[in-house]
Amino acid sequence: MSCHETGDCDVDADETIALVGCPNVGKSVVFGELAEQYVDVSNYPGTTVDTTETAFGDAKLTDTPGVYGISSFDEEERVTREIVLEADAVVNVVDATQLDRDLFLTLQLLDMGIPTVVALNMMDEAEADGVDIDADALEAELGVPVVPTVAVDGEGIDELRERVPEATAPASTPVERWFDELPDDVGASRAEKTLIVEGDEPTAERVSSGAIVADGGVPALTEIGQREDVYGHRRRRVEDVVGGVLSREERDSSWAERFSDLMLDPLTGTPIALAMLGAIFYFIGVVVAQKVVDFLEITVFGEYYNPIVEGAVEGILPAASWAEPIEFMLINGNLGLLTITVQYIVGVLLPLVIAFYFVIGILEDSGMLPRLAVLTDRGLNRIGLNGRAIVPMIVGVGCVTMAVITTRMVGDRRERLISTALLGLAVPCSAQLGVIMGLLAGLGLIWWFGYLGVLLLVLGVAGLFLDRTLPGEQTPLVTELPRMRVPRPRNILRKTYNRTKMFLREAIPLFAVAAVAISALEYVGGFAVIQRVLSPVTALVGLPQEFARVLLLGLVRRDFAAAGMTDMAFTTAETFIGLVVITLFVPCILSMVMILKERDAKSALLMWVGSWVVAFGVGGLLAVIL
Amino acid sequence: MTEVLADTAPGESVSLERVPDDDVRARLLRLGFLDGAVECRHRLRKGPIVLRRNGTEMALGADLAAEIEISHARADR
Repeated sequence: MSCHETGDCDVDADETIALVGCPNVGKSVVFGELAEQYVDVSNYPGTTVDTTETAFGDAKLTDTPGVYGISSFDEEERVTREIVLEADAVVNVVDATQLDRDLFLTLQLLDMGIPTVVALNMMDEAEADGVDIDADALEAELGVPVVPTVAVDGEGIDELRERVPEATAPASTPVERWFDELPDDVGASRAEKTLIVEGDEPTAERVSSGAIVADGGVPALTEIGQREDVYGHRRRRVEDVVGGVLSREERDSSWAERFSDLMLDPLTGTPIALAMLGAIFYFIGVVVAQKVVDFLEITVFGEYYNPIVEGAVEGILPAASWAEPIEFMLINGNLGLLTITVQYIVGVLLPLVIAFYFVIGILEDSGMLPRLAVLTDRGLNRIGLNGRAIVPMIVGVGCVTMAVITTRMVGDRRERLISTALLGLAVPCSAQLGVIMGLLAGLGLIWWFGYLGVLLLVLGVAGLFLDRTLPGEQTPLVTELPRMRVPRPRNILRKTYNRTKMFLREAIPLFAVAAVAISALEYVGGFAVIQRVLSPVTALVGLPQEFARVLLLGLVRRDFAAAGMTDMAFTTAETFIGLVVITLFVPCILSMVMILKERDAKSALLMWVGSWVVAFGVGGLLAVIL
Repeated sequence: MTEVLADTAPGESVSLERVPDDDVRARLLRLGFLDGAVECRHRLRKGPIVLRRNGTEMALGADLAAEIEISHARADR
């Protein structure tokens, strides 16, 4: 539960200051530099958007998701709008190399009458580009404090901190000419009036519902919006301001620009992207998911932690019959709360989460992600996704659980659903893939290609099917390409730390509950019953009844299922079918918990049932063919 | 004949005249892409098109590019 819901925030203050800016302007760096102490990351209520808070003097400083303007085009914008409407003041971070783009948001904040201080960031890059901005002239034009900064080096941060109390907004701005359209008695603040004349429906609806509706003839607030006029007028004001404060010298294109060009040309971009994805897979899927996790699981937990805890629990609990179920819950060999559950969280999940957030941080800060999206957009369009879905798919081959989190960046609800379903269904994770590759190697190369072919076919068909059946339309790719940069290690580490902390805080209780539930099922003999019930299904795919045991193991962890296959004396065709079935079969318990957390219960259940159907449907079909 | 963005070749300078999708139009307007000439930086075969204006780069999917009408900007910009 987030602190917004409970009200007892770790960061407690009367006044709130919001940090607002376009994406990739160094907002989180400015935040990190301004933060005096404890940083609190939490989920904004009812959304998948994370916000970060910290103490700032007597006030609370809140970081907001990057947006190009205050409105409601997506979930991030809605969150930022809510925070801005409640904030007492705003620090607006502006990218000096993109002044013309970023001032739209600045002028919008001032139109809304929100007390603002502008941090004119990335002054070093602007200078390298040959862009010269007269900060004093900009301050005079805008009528609010403007502080030049280079946040990654800490330059200008002290002055920014000192000038935050000077935050102000002009008493009146040209947007007011549209206020005449509003009814005289509308009970709206200047900020709300601005949003209403811009056609922001959520604001109009909220203000309407609070007002006493006058007699007929007054247009509904939702119909007043004149977004294009207001936006167009604001753009012209931006041009005027920029013309007065900025001078530009032509420079040769930088390495970043040339590299960006290489990335976006399929001839050169595809090999670069493949090499990078290979490196990511190697790092997450091989180094961390196998080497680090194996060391932790086998050595640290297998040899030291688990035996010690088991010994301690057995020593403390009396050998009475009432203690037996408790002992089972705490230390059973499948999912004991104090042993295997801790092992999964600390030994498996933690290293993967850290590695994963580290890689994502690098991809984000370097500007790689949107370029990958451009390269893969066309292919993914065919299965109802746009290019942004490439990231979950790639990360999924490393670890499906982690990939489910990245579906947040894919776009709207429909696309998140499709990508999550495909991940759960047909993307094998690296832990499982290692064992599967070993088994297939024994069968021969032709079976390996057969396996890959079947999976890609299922992926394509399932994607097409979901694209056709789900309501709504595919959202087209519309994305800004931020400049390419070498990421700063300090910022990457800071992000990784904050995100990991937040993830663990939310995930640990979920896993604990899941572990207790499964242990209880096993204790009362549920496993044997399930195995019996499953026997007709295993017969369907032409496999012996012991295969049901493999599937049960797969419910807990997918690589357990794959490993379970190695013990069984199957024929070549049986092994192949078995491997296909366990790949398509339901995702592991950790992934399921993540799907449940990120999506809703109904979608999660549908995906779970769908995995059963597809796994056995395809398995049955293969049994007939082979 | 009206020309659409999808037909633009890299290096050309064009003005976006008509963007049918309301949300996309508002987003482009906000970023200044409807203010005047924009440069076509890249076009992937049957794929997205990348536009540039004052150092800001935007990628638009192929279907979207096929419905955005353009005119060629004069050489004075």
